[in-house]
Order: sequence, then C-alpha cells, then structure tokens
Amino acid sequence: MKINPEYVTRLISTFIKEELAKFDFRKAILGLSGGLDSSVCAFLATRALGSHNVLALIMPYGKTFPEEVEDAQTVAALVGCRVLIIDIQPMVEAYFSIYPTDDPVLKGNKMARERMAILYDFSAREKALILGTSNKTELLIGYGTIHGDLACGINPLGDLYKTQIRQLADWLGVPEKIRKKKPTAGLWPGQTDEEEIGLSYDELDSILYELVDLRKSRLELISQGYDPQKVNRVWEMMRRSEFKRRMPPILKLSSRTVGHDFLYPYDWDR
Amino acid sequence: MRCALVQFSPHLGLIEKNLALHYQYIEQARKEKADLIIFPELSLTGYTLKDLTAEVALNPYQDQRLNQLKTLSHKIDIIVGLVEEKEKGLFYNSAVYYSQGEILAIHRKVFLPTFGLFEEGKFFATGRFFRCFSTSFGRIGLLICRDFLHYGASYCLLAGKSDLIIVISAAPGRGMSEKPGFASSEMWELMAQTISRFSTAFVIYCNRVGFEDGVVFAGGSFIYDPWGKCLLRGPDIDPAFLIQELDLENLRLARKTWSFLRDDKPEIILNSLQNLLAKNEN
Repeated sequence: MKINPEYVTRLISTFIKEELAKFDFRKAILGLSGGLDSSVCAFLATRALGSHNVLALIMPYGKTFPEEVEDAQTVAALVGCRVLIIDIQPMVEAYFSIYPTDDPVLKGNKMARERMAILYDFSAREKALILGTSNKTELLIGYGTIHGDLACGINPLGDLYKTQIRQLADWLGVPEKIRKKKPTAGLWPGQTDEEEIGLSYDELDSILYELVDLRKSRLELISQGYDPQKVNRVWEMMRRSEFKRRMPPILKLSSRTVGHDFLYPYDWDR
Repeated sequence: MRCALVQFSPHLGLIEKNLALHYQYIEQARKEKADLIIFPELSLTGYTLKDLTAEVALNPYQDQRLNQLKTLSHKIDIIVGLVEEKEKGLFYNSAVYYSQGEILAIHRKVFLPTFGLFEEGKFFATGRFFRCFSTSFGRIGLLICRDFLHYGASYCLLAGKSDLIIVISAAPGRGMSEKPGFASSEMWELMAQTISRFSTAFVIYCNRVGFEDGVVFAGGSFIYDPWGKCLLRGPDIDPAFLIQELDLENLRLARKTWSFLRDDKPEIILNSLQNLLAKNEN
C-alpha cells in the first residue's frame, strides 16, 4: 500500500498536463471542499499547470460548514489558484421547496449534482477541463453520487486508496489540519465517512487492497483473520455499486452498437 | 556500431503526424552517427487502437506513405512498429526492419496479450514465426513486447544464432511501491539480463512513454550486453532519445568464455517438443 509520493506526483502532474494538451484545454477546474482529496488535487493541478491555469470552485450550502469553506480558502491561497465561492443553497432550496424531504441522502445527492452542474457550466464558460477527485476507495465501494461528485473530465486520483492519498498529502505539504480531520461527505453536520460506512479507512483499504489488487477471495481474507462481517460488507458495497463505475447498458439490437462493439479509444486521434 | 532508441509517445491513430516525428528522430540519429534507429511497438499508430486498428492498417510493401522511410534507410537502418494488413482484413502487430532502401524483414507479433487491460487478441491476427536475418552488424532477431516474456521466443532467436535480440515494446507501467518506478518494469530487465547472458547476445529493448486512455507507458528502455551487463537504462515515463555504442567484439569474447551458443542442441529441443506435443504430455 506504500507509494513513492514523489514518483506518483510526477506521474499525476504529467498525466494532467498531457490530457489537457490532447483535448486542447489550457485550464483545469475542480470543486474544492476543504477535505483531503480535493486539496491534494488542487496541489497536483497547480504543480502541473501553473496556479493561474487552475480554477477552484468552493460551493458551500449556505452557512452549514463555515470551517470547510475556510479550509478550502486556505488551500486555494496556498497553491495560489483562482478561486470562486458559489453558494448552492438558493438553487437547491428552490427545488426542495417544491418537493420537500427530510432524507439527508436525497438532500446530499441533490447538492452533489448541483455542484456538478455548476462545474460543467464553468467548464464551458472557462474552457477548463474538470478534474475529478474521487479516490479508489470511494469508487470501489460506490461512496459517491452518480452524476454528482463522480462526474468529471479526467480523474487523476481514482487509482489511489484514501490511505495512499494521505501519503501523497503529507509529501505535498497539505496543511496538517486538513490531513488530520475526519473525512466527511458533508451530508449533515458531524457526519463522518467512517461512521457511515461502518469501517475505518485503514480497515477498508486493507480489505479492498487484498480483494482487488491482490485478487484474493473473501474466504482467503477471512482465513487470514479478517472479520467476516466486515469483509462481506465491503464485498456487498462493491457489488452493489458497479452501476456507478460504468456507462449504462445499451440494449443491443443492431450489428454494431455503442458500448458493445463500437470500440474506439478515448484518446481517438489525439 | 551505434544504436539509437527512441523512447517517445506517438499520437493515437495519426500516421502522418507520427511519420513526421519519425523523420525528425531519424535526422537526429544520423547527426549522432547512429547505424540503427529503433522505434517502439506500433510507433506509427499508437497502441490502444481498438476499432482504429483496421483504419490505420497498411501494407508496408505497397503503401506510398512509407516511401520516405525506405529512402532514409539508405543512410541508417530503421525499425518501426505498425499495423500490417498482410492479407486482406487480417491485421498484424508488426515490426518492420528497413535497410538499404528496402524492407529487410518483418516480424509479426506472436504472443498477443488478451487479459486484464490487454485486448490485442480481439483486434490482431497472430504472427506465426520467429525469424533471424543477417544485417551488416550481424544476425538480428525481432520481438514485440509480450513475445519477449515467453522465453521460447528468445530461444528461437538463440537457435537462429542472433547477435542482437531487439524488442520493441508498448509496455504499461503497473504496480507501485515505496520505490520510484513501476513494479512491472523489473520483469523486463530480469528477462533481459538472463536472455542476454545465456544467449551471449545483445538484448535491446525500446519501450514507449506517454498516456493512452489513462494507461501510462513505462519507458525504461535498455540494452544488455552478451555478458548480461546493463549498458544503458533510459528514464522511467519520460521521453528520451538514447544513443549507445555497441562493441560487437563482445559477442566473440563472451562466446569464447561461455559456450552456451556452441553447445546448444536445437535438434534435441525440437525432438523433445515434438514428443511432448505428440504424447500430449504438456
């Protein structure tokens, strides 16, 4: 699970730079939450492109998490990128005033998709490619909103577990306060990922690493001494969230079908 | 002899753009007085072609677009990678060796990786032979990427008495640790050290760099001498134009010291293979 942060940084910076060049972008845009992943992404993007070519959007819901906004501003100031604060409360409230709910997950999803819509709008306004900030842990267990925070142009962090992002953050000099805070999806005050998921990131990542990277079976993990309940829970989360990692299935009727046997590379003629 | 390795990143699907890059590197190699310039696997087309395979396929014996490469090979031997349409509708992942204005040899990739992130078997036809051919530098055998990880392929080139085993590659980097570089790079060097030493031949490996669809190509091109010693190691992931002088006299010296080549018994190997296959013992 250990990485060489200097090497990984070099790879990610080159990747960001080259992908932008391939698709004729000079600028990148990302949502900055004040959490670890987007902070790391901001550090990497400014390294790759220069701070003037990175735009960070801080998109709070009213005054719910003032400290997160402050932390996001600290990061933006540290890396020197352009920054814009956009309050999503008016848009989100406009909707929920018509279709009210008390369900925090529904609210959280709506907020994530509102942020996505703003990112895509600013992507077009600014001709800036959207950098995704979902890590491998989240992607594998589906801890993200489909067409919300999972949506992006490229994802430079998607093959790094949360614990590996922490190693990267240490090396990049992300402020200690951000590195030490408990990860949260920001669904309600006091919420933490680890409580909601029911496992610590250390446990989660080591189970995922064994199942995914080392291709071991659940039985093997359990015989190694992992808690069967936790192993099965992680497996279930992976299994149930495949739809978030894929384009939706297209009913195949013709002899050549998008997604089935019409197979061009993403970097087609680049 | 002087050998140039071009560790670069071709544009995916854009032959003309890639040809222009080839001309630049060939010019540079000539300035550096290189005798041979080696480009990586699918250097004219890029690697992750999928359905583009058919669209970028060409017949190197007929395609006018390659005339200039032919002409340039009067001054320097050239190895490029391309999609070859040998028979109509059959596409091979091929390495083409140009010398003296002609195609001297073509190797068609035999081992097409089709597992995990690799899909070559879906798009390419399988090459059927490993061959050696004579050049002004000595006997050469060509391999493409995964071919080299099946040591039977290198054995054929030993049986053909190769002096230079040349591998062109588009090998992705995979696997991280605390050390810089990719875990997957080690296997190439491990094989090269072994094959060069026990074939008493040079092993030259030219790998590409760059990104395609999120996959990073690892670079790290290298040359091993007939003693199994590393003469040159290119950088990981960064583009590089590498030049190395090869002292071909080392072939004699190594073979005088270690008689692996002289003592090899390809006919016994062949008989054994036939027996094994006939008795279905494998």
